[in-house]
Amino acid sequence: MAAREILPVLGVDAVYPEDFSCCGEHVKSVNQLITLYLSARNMAVCEKNGLENIYVPCSDCHLALSETKRVLNGSAELKERINTALASENLKYTGAVTLYHTLDLLHDYIGVEKIKSLVKKPFNGITVATHYGCKTIRPTEVGRPDNAENPQKMEKILTAIGVNTQPYPEKLDCCGASLLANLPETPLTKTGQKLKAIAEQGFAAMVDACPWCHKMYDSKQAKALETVASKSAVPVVNLLQIVGIALGIDKEKLGLNLNSSPAEKIAAEVTAS
Amino acid sequence: MSINDQTSMAEPQKEIRQEINDRLKKLQDEVSEFCFQCAKCTSGCEAHKLLELEPHKIMALLKRGLIDEMKNSEIIWTCMSCQKCKERCPQKVAPVDVLMALKNYAVASGIEVPGKYTDMLQSILSLGLLQEPQETMANDGSTKNRESLGLGPVSRPADVNNLMMALSSIAIEKV
Repeated sequence: MAAREILPVLGVDAVYPEDFSCCGEHVKSVNQLITLYLSARNMAVCEKNGLENIYVPCSDCHLALSETKRVLNGSAELKERINTALASENLKYTGAVTLYHTLDLLHDYIGVEKIKSLVKKPFNGITVATHYGCKTIRPTEVGRPDNAENPQKMEKILTAIGVNTQPYPEKLDCCGASLLANLPETPLTKTGQKLKAIAEQGFAAMVDACPWCHKMYDSKQAKALETVASKSAVPVVNLLQIVGIALGIDKEKLGLNLNSSPAEKIAAEVTAS
Repeated sequence: MSINDQTSMAEPQKEIRQEINDRLKKLQDEVSEFCFQCAKCTSGCEAHKLLELEPHKIMALLKRGLIDEMKNSEIIWTCMSCQKCKERCPQKVAPVDVLMALKNYAVASGIEVPGKYTDMLQSILSLGLLQEPQETMANDGSTKNRESLGLGPVSRPADVNNLMMALSSIAIEKV
């Protein structure tokens, strides 16, 4: 939702093609060939529609597509096999599409300076904890949107809209969401531990760059906090939502009323104009 | 059942080890033999903090060829895929990819797939999606769906039967 609102403000034309499928990242444990096929399939759908650039807001999907590109570029034999199967769906994968994550889009394609120039409601300097998400920054080998050990793009984007950040010990900790399928209690504990640490260090909010992590820290926050016996709710917003607020977009259009955590508090932290 | 309960009488399975190593070479350009047990992977492992996963031990067992012992242990299903082991390994090997290969091998040899993975796979085969879009609740208590939020229907495969046939043919192949 927030992405659809922000793109036109930033001057990006977006189309929403039919015929996409799941990227397959979450069944990679069961059968990695299925992941390769589904990810190649989604890129082939874009090729068929004559689209050269795909914006992939989800870090898991972005990793699945990036890894598929890498594997198929490196193996003509696998590419041939995937294309043979794709032919039955009238699709063909060549690898011509370029992938953009939210960080690529905002930091590299649009640029921090341009975002700064478009800000209508700058924040008042609140300090937030950033959470990039494992798959946003690792593995470097596959090509990721930011540095694996010291990611900084989100901090730079946030600085441009009047939000402060600060490194904290748990910054690179994982939410555990990959285990939701078979060990659902463990991710709740992982998520709860990180939220508790963020609350203890007095951050005003957590800003995440991965929808799958967002589901853990926001949608499942109440249960996660129970597992670590914490009563301190943490406002959690996605990077697109907080940038959207600064760009002057209506908070309901950014889906802020759909966050389960007290995210709407954040919207009040802009400087009065 | 933990791995140690199973490995005491075990015989190395060289062929399957070779198959897994070939797969790693092809998919990730990795040589698992390069592992020298520094355990940097385990020191940063996100799953190790809460569960019993020790990625360097997985590497050691692979090198010994004790594959079925890992296949039959639920420990391989505790990896969170955080990719830290892959990122930090000084020898450019990745326990996360070895675990992925072991899980794929376990499923292909007919173990009972844990948790919701079967449902997720079934949903992908029949819908092309992990699940149908769900309703959500706004903080005023009202229920919202894609239509009421103005998002329109979700993009989905035009012909699910074709997708199912393609996936079924690809899923039974070996890497």
